[in-house]
Amino acid sequence: MRTPVVEVSGVSKCFTIPSVRRETVREHALDLFRRRPQERLSVLESVSFELRRGESLGLMGRNGSGKSTLLKIVSGIYPADTGRVLVRAAITPILELGVGWNPDLDAIDNIELLGTVMGMTLKELRSATAEILEFAELEKFAHMELRHYSSGMAARLAYAVAFRAVRDVLILDEIFAVGDAGFKERCQARYRDLHRAGHSMLLVSHEPRTIASFCDRALLLESGRIVCSGPADVVADRYLSLLTEDPPDLARPLAR
Amino acid sequence: MVSVATTHVQQGQGRFAGLVWTLIRTDFKTRYHGTIGGFVWALLKPLTMFLVLFAVFSYVFASEPQYKLDLIIGLFLYEFFQESTKAGLLSIRAKGYLLTKARFPSWIVVVTSASNAVITLTLFSLVLVTFLTLTGRAPGPAGVALFTVYQVLFFLIVAGFSLGASVLFMRYRDLNQVWEVVTHAGFFIAPIIYPIGILPERVHAYLYLWPPTPIILFSRSVLLDGRTPSALAHLLLVGETAIVLAVGALIYRARAPRVAEEL
Repeated sequence: MRTPVVEVSGVSKCFTIPSVRRETVREHALDLFRRRPQERLSVLESVSFELRRGESLGLMGRNGSGKSTLLKIVSGIYPADTGRVLVRAAITPILELGVGWNPDLDAIDNIELLGTVMGMTLKELRSATAEILEFAELEKFAHMELRHYSSGMAARLAYAVAFRAVRDVLILDEIFAVGDAGFKERCQARYRDLHRAGHSMLLVSHEPRTIASFCDRALLLESGRIVCSGPADVVADRYLSLLTEDPPDLARPLAR
Repeated sequence: MVSVATTHVQQGQGRFAGLVWTLIRTDFKTRYHGTIGGFVWALLKPLTMFLVLFAVFSYVFASEPQYKLDLIIGLFLYEFFQESTKAGLLSIRAKGYLLTKARFPSWIVVVTSASNAVITLTLFSLVLVTFLTLTGRAPGPAGVALFTVYQVLFFLIVAGFSLGASVLFMRYRDLNQVWEVVTHAGFFIAPIIYPIGILPERVHAYLYLWPPTPIILFSRSVLLDGRTPSALAHLLLVGETAIVLAVGALIYRARAPRVAEEL
């Protein structure tokens, strides 16, 4: 059996609901002697799974089911409240890449910022910049400040950097939802190339066909729990039926 | 029993050397973005400020030649303190868009946030030492070396403050306004526009607790008076630096792991 590169066991995560948070020195000072009950929202409850070396694992779930939080915990951006996360390889996450650039800098400087954050060296980046711009089809706009980019152009640039920065494990949030048909095709081809080259992938998608065709195995997350795991096409079917059930029957066993 | 363990393969801090350089370079570029003269203005700012202040103070304080240089040194060092602590306090918020993208040590964005202020202070120091040399008051190698040490300690104080304040700011969103008031008041606590001698000696020790005070007084002492503060004074300054750095690092260590959640 292939060694797991990511092992997640019993991970739980809660957030304090922002509407009851005290956010200023003034609010804290005024409430010094008054305890305000704080509501906690449980996002993940005792989630366990593993990602094996060279495997493409899909993650499905409705909005608010905890997918993005789980990806951020695995990527090391959020800490878990309880449980254990063991990561044996370098992770490159592609999360929320449509937003978050320095608008005053041009594409080349932004590529350098994002690339170095993702662990690339300046030498690697300098030799990869032309390839990144070509992948994003933004060669003509290399010296244009990001404030003048459309959201689609910015997202294409982000994916191009992240795909180039991949070192071992790739984590993707809604990967093929960006750009025109040509760009999507290039992303899909790059994804398959990376998978063939032995990279491990964790892919989130709302699109059952994407999960079924790009993943070996999948997990279905509902209300912060893994309610189904198994072959990707079966989990994708289960996700579809979950969307049409009212209320969803989470106890229904996996058919197959 | 509640247990938490997160183990990630180590990326190697060396991989982030490129990030440090890129943050410094892009911060510099962003600051002077769109200005007439661009980078040249950044380099000329300390020189022009020095010349303007020197010309004005030479006229206003014509009878006190030492006072104008005391004032210029105090103003520049305090300007560094104000600018770098403000940038440090806001650093995690300002660079949040990078912190939610990948796992990397967030202290890098905190410590590099002072880079623009460090560049200005370094250039000012070069201008000042050159001016003193040209006017026959060269401070000597030991004086210049000590002045450099004070600036390094000042940077470490700023780094310590920034580490603590940047993570606290994510929880206390009006901390920048509180700090602005403190630094405005602190301008008058530090003996910038008045000589410390006009205050009773019993309050001097309290004034020294405000970090810019010893840095400004010691810098003036080695550069203008040719006097080296005592070993005990240096020891106290190093101790003060270590305390600020340690407290800042402890607050940072306690709060940094959850900082991405507060962005």
